[in-house]
Amino acid sequence: MSARRLIQGGRIDREKSLRFRWDDRVLSGHPGDSLASALLANNQWVLGRSFKYHRPRGIMSAGVEESGAIVTVGKGDRRVVNTKATMQELHDGMEASGQNAWPSVRQDLGAINGLFSRFFSAGFYYKTFMGIPPFEWGRGTGMWMWYEKFIRRAAGMGNASREPDPDHYDHVHGFCDVLVVGSGIAGMSAALAAAEAGLEVVLVEQDWEPGGDLLGQYGAEAERRRQGMVQDLQTAGVRLMLRTTAFGLYDNGVAGLLERVTDHLKDPHRDLPRQRFHVLRARQTILATGAIERGIAFGNNDRPGVMTADSAGLYLNRYGVLAGEQVVVATNNDSAYNVALDLAGAGAEVSVLDARARIPGRLSELAADADVNLRNNCTVMKANGANGIRSVNVAIRSGGTRSGGTRSGGAWKAGSRQDCDLVLVSGGWSPVVNLMSHRGVRPTWNADIACFLVPEPHEGIRMAGAAAGCWTVNDCAQSGLSAGRAAARALGREVTIVDAPAPGGWESPIRPLYEVRIDGWKLKSLVDPQHDVTSDDVRLAHREGFVSVEHLKRYTTLGMATDGGKVGNVIGLALMAEALGRDIPEVGTTTFRPPYTPVSIGALRGRSVDTHFRPLRRTPLHDWNLAHGATMTMAGLWHRPWYFARDGETISEAYVRETETTRRAVGLCDVTSLGKIAVQGPDATEFLNRVYTNPFAKLPIGKARYGIMLRDDGIVMDDGTTWRLGETEYFMTTTTAHAAKVMAWLEELLQTRWPDLRVHVTSVSEQWSGCAVAGPKSREVLAACVADGAILDNDRFPFMGVIETELKGGIPCRIARISFSGELAYEAYVPSDYGPAMMDLLWAAAAEHDGCLYGLEALGAMRIEKGHVTGAELDGRVTLEDAGLGRMGSENKSYIGSALRKRPELLREDRPRLVGILPRDRSQKFNAGSILCHPDAVSGLGEGWITGVTHSPSNGHWIGIGFISGGHEAWDGKTAIAADPVRRGNVEVEIVSPHMYDPDGEKMHG
Amino acid sequence: MADRISALDGHVTTGTFGLVPDDGPGVILQPLPDLSLVQVAGWPDTLRAVGARLLAITDAVSLPGPGKAATVGAVSLLRVEPLKWWLLGAQAPELPAEKGSTLDLSHSRTRVRVAGRDAAALLNRFLSLDLRTGSFPPGSVASSSFHHVGVTLWHADDGYHLFLPRGFALSCWEVMLESALQFGVEVRQG
Repeated sequence: MSARRLIQGGRIDREKSLRFRWDDRVLSGHPGDSLASALLANNQWVLGRSFKYHRPRGIMSAGVEESGAIVTVGKGDRRVVNTKATMQELHDGMEASGQNAWPSVRQDLGAINGLFSRFFSAGFYYKTFMGIPPFEWGRGTGMWMWYEKFIRRAAGMGNASREPDPDHYDHVHGFCDVLVVGSGIAGMSAALAAAEAGLEVVLVEQDWEPGGDLLGQYGAEAERRRQGMVQDLQTAGVRLMLRTTAFGLYDNGVAGLLERVTDHLKDPHRDLPRQRFHVLRARQTILATGAIERGIAFGNNDRPGVMTADSAGLYLNRYGVLAGEQVVVATNNDSAYNVALDLAGAGAEVSVLDARARIPGRLSELAADADVNLRNNCTVMKANGANGIRSVNVAIRSGGTRSGGTRSGGAWKAGSRQDCDLVLVSGGWSPVVNLMSHRGVRPTWNADIACFLVPEPHEGIRMAGAAAGCWTVNDCAQSGLSAGRAAARALGREVTIVDAPAPGGWESPIRPLYEVRIDGWKLKSLVDPQHDVTSDDVRLAHREGFVSVEHLKRYTTLGMATDGGKVGNVIGLALMAEALGRDIPEVGTTTFRPPYTPVSIGALRGRSVDTHFRPLRRTPLHDWNLAHGATMTMAGLWHRPWYFARDGETISEAYVRETETTRRAVGLCDVTSLGKIAVQGPDATEFLNRVYTNPFAKLPIGKARYGIMLRDDGIVMDDGTTWRLGETEYFMTTTTAHAAKVMAWLEELLQTRWPDLRVHVTSVSEQWSGCAVAGPKSREVLAACVADGAILDNDRFPFMGVIETELKGGIPCRIARISFSGELAYEAYVPSDYGPAMMDLLWAAAAEHDGCLYGLEALGAMRIEKGHVTGAELDGRVTLEDAGLGRMGSENKSYIGSALRKRPELLREDRPRLVGILPRDRSQKFNAGSILCHPDAVSGLGEGWITGVTHSPSNGHWIGIGFISGGHEAWDGKTAIAADPVRRGNVEVEIVSPHMYDPDGEKMHG
Repeated sequence: MADRISALDGHVTTGTFGLVPDDGPGVILQPLPDLSLVQVAGWPDTLRAVGARLLAITDAVSLPGPGKAATVGAVSLLRVEPLKWWLLGAQAPELPAEKGSTLDLSHSRTRVRVAGRDAAALLNRFLSLDLRTGSFPPGSVASSSFHHVGVTLWHADDGYHLFLPRGFALSCWEVMLESALQFGVEVRQG
């Protein structure tokens, strides 16, 4: 094995050196290198270990299809596993290492697995489910439960960092007229044609340089052509996006792009995202995605030192690396000849084994002129060498092939051994039709050039260049021009249409060859190297009945590795076709799905992480609350005060104090998060009357009413108060949890059912900042804050009254006398920017009465005492009657849900009804979520459940609220069990009325 | 009268931040406090009459159609929905209920100006709107989603004006500022 850097040639900057670490070695490369080319230049061959058998693996390609040089790049929290070294741009200081090996990829103890490979064949994992015969025959899979963990530990490639990802990622939305994927000569021609027609064109290229195949061609002419086209693209205004992969195509011209922004930089600026996830909407799309060279399944075709022919040309011409000195090229088509000639020109000793019987005269002459040893009717049977190549066994054709192109018995016979240190393979080319496949298009098999093609445009998506089966540079250029013009015409531009060239272009046709098998020889021939799927595995799957290509894929995992079947799918299909005695088109093809290449989770998440995992919603009093000692909690997207602990207080001590203080004096609570909706228009009253279960037709101006709205099916949707501000104007409040849902529901009703009603609904949740003022002293507190305190007198402002007034300082304010706590209470709302000013006023007044601020915990305690329902109770299963609000259902009008709430099932007397719950032993506690059971049947779903619990300062013990069959009347004098088997266990409880505090409402009305 | 405290008060640090190119920051972010915003809505059969009232208030030459805005001096009119306008910088007209309704929303939104050569690029980090000049020229208005939050965007003569729901404003501001750092960002006080 003797790869080396040449002293000249390639696109690297030899003036500068980049030092990088590979495992325990410090090596050097040059700007312009990929990690793979730099490793090759340092004659590093064993770069990885295979998935199952831990076979040594080296560089097998130079692109995204790489199946051997899959490595870990980076360290610490920036460690990225399963990086294809062929696609990783080298930078100074890079740290890379092998994976799936111990202690190293060069000496890996796991290679012992190879000795047991016959036990790890296709479907190995599934077969483990059956248990181990004869020990477990008919007795389940107990042993599997034990050894399954060892299988899982052995599976997987590389160890991802367990630390938080330190990088950030962007999502980007983009638009263009034409998206061109791939910047080879076809892509550049297409982009240029579309741009010259006046269209906005985006050209994406996964590489860090534009040019595609031109980058790997020898000579100044190719480079001049490339540079000229790049210049033309810039002049035409084409937006070129390098290091960007179009990983998927979706509906309506949407393309998913992944842009690698900093992966190639040593010290990226901290403000640059590592990657950008683009959602690009294009009116037309051209896929100039090229083609991927296939291998041939022969013995040990995965050994380090076996690679595709084209990649050796790329390493030579782009990176100035001669991958071997004694090179055997196994081909069945014309494309490998250029590589053979280039390698010979660089000083290598080259032999071409061409599987074809006849070789075009021109190629033969060129080979002869370059001292390339050329043998027809030959190929490689087996590569020899442990961690590299020492020689190959040559196979010689001994008979014809049957239709379908795969081998038939006796077609090959073993030939002589030939020394070499590098084996290059070209088994044909597979156009990259993956993105078209994402759109549900099934490619068709073209037997002439032995590949799948998508000949027709679909949804404004066109194939061009090698992706359309064009094999020559000039054909690719014309194909791109044709596609670009066609896209322009489709967008209404007056352009001259150019015919696309026919697929093909070789001087002599390809002779399909997928596997070399010789009777009497047992060969380990890999079809999908990444998942260690061999040609024998495909045949085993066939024998075991997995003959559908989709079953084959899942049973053998062929094509399910990170390359997504780019390497092995066609060969696997061909082998299955042979096993079935059919042709490839009859067997079908698998469907490629996004992503074309892996997309990091970080890119998918974008900036939706940490504090931005979801947007945080703050009330206008947020900072004020924090400044006054609030501990916050999440309530949906809202941050709300949970409790206001004083020195050394626990949450329990704090909320009990807040509850007691509010009941004794006065408490203030931020209630801004309640949903608020302006309902306006001449038909607003009629609208509300149809939405709410209770009458709203006669609600006077200046009064509020508690209302409940049902879903169509008669189940409670939400509750709240609605304030009548004027003849045609209402202010509706909803629960915090259902604010958006109710708003959308009202919009839907107006737009789809009652478009004749002249009503506008507008969310004003953000417009108004609210504070509940609750407790016996609440009137005094509020009176001290409004411009005219007299308006709060009981007579002028009774329970459920509404006034619009001003706070001191001229702050506009609307107040309703409503109570969620059971105390004399008010809710005051001011325009949000005045929220802090309102709190300053209220808090100063409350302090005069030894008042307090209270949070959600105390609010919850008081509402449980009072028996008010919240989202915990209104969970989508509850009727009016279940919630103890049956009297709210009017019998004199029709409203949403009025018909279906009368369904017999919803009227059953034994339905779970809202109740209060007390511990039989008052010193005991129980948990929310406990199941309420009959003492004789503590099992199953029980008789009900508990939705909320609290210590009740008013009662001096623990209380709860929940539902139980038949309600509290049915359980009068009986004991129930609050069953909580995974936490507290069973607690005996009493079932009582849910109104456990001031049941007659004297305090509230006082 | 008490001072208005905007959602961003105390959370905005002015200055230039991030990866600033040689030709200066690509983005200018500027909260514009003390928003004056009134929603004016008509009914299908009174839309023309309501529009006439608005024309009189704004001195605009013509009424902006759906998704468009008109500005005369300090007063702007944004057509945000088929039956609704937003009136910025002017008092609401008196409208009988039979003709339409008005609603003060001045405190419901936090207004942020996003300007500079990379303003559209920054906004497209979050908004799936086609902001190319041909599709969204100055005078355009659209509703969309910004980091999961429903927002209104107006392309004014001095840049884009983003109307963020007040409660989400700080969260949106923070995530937008983080993303803006890559362009270089100048934060100005309103």
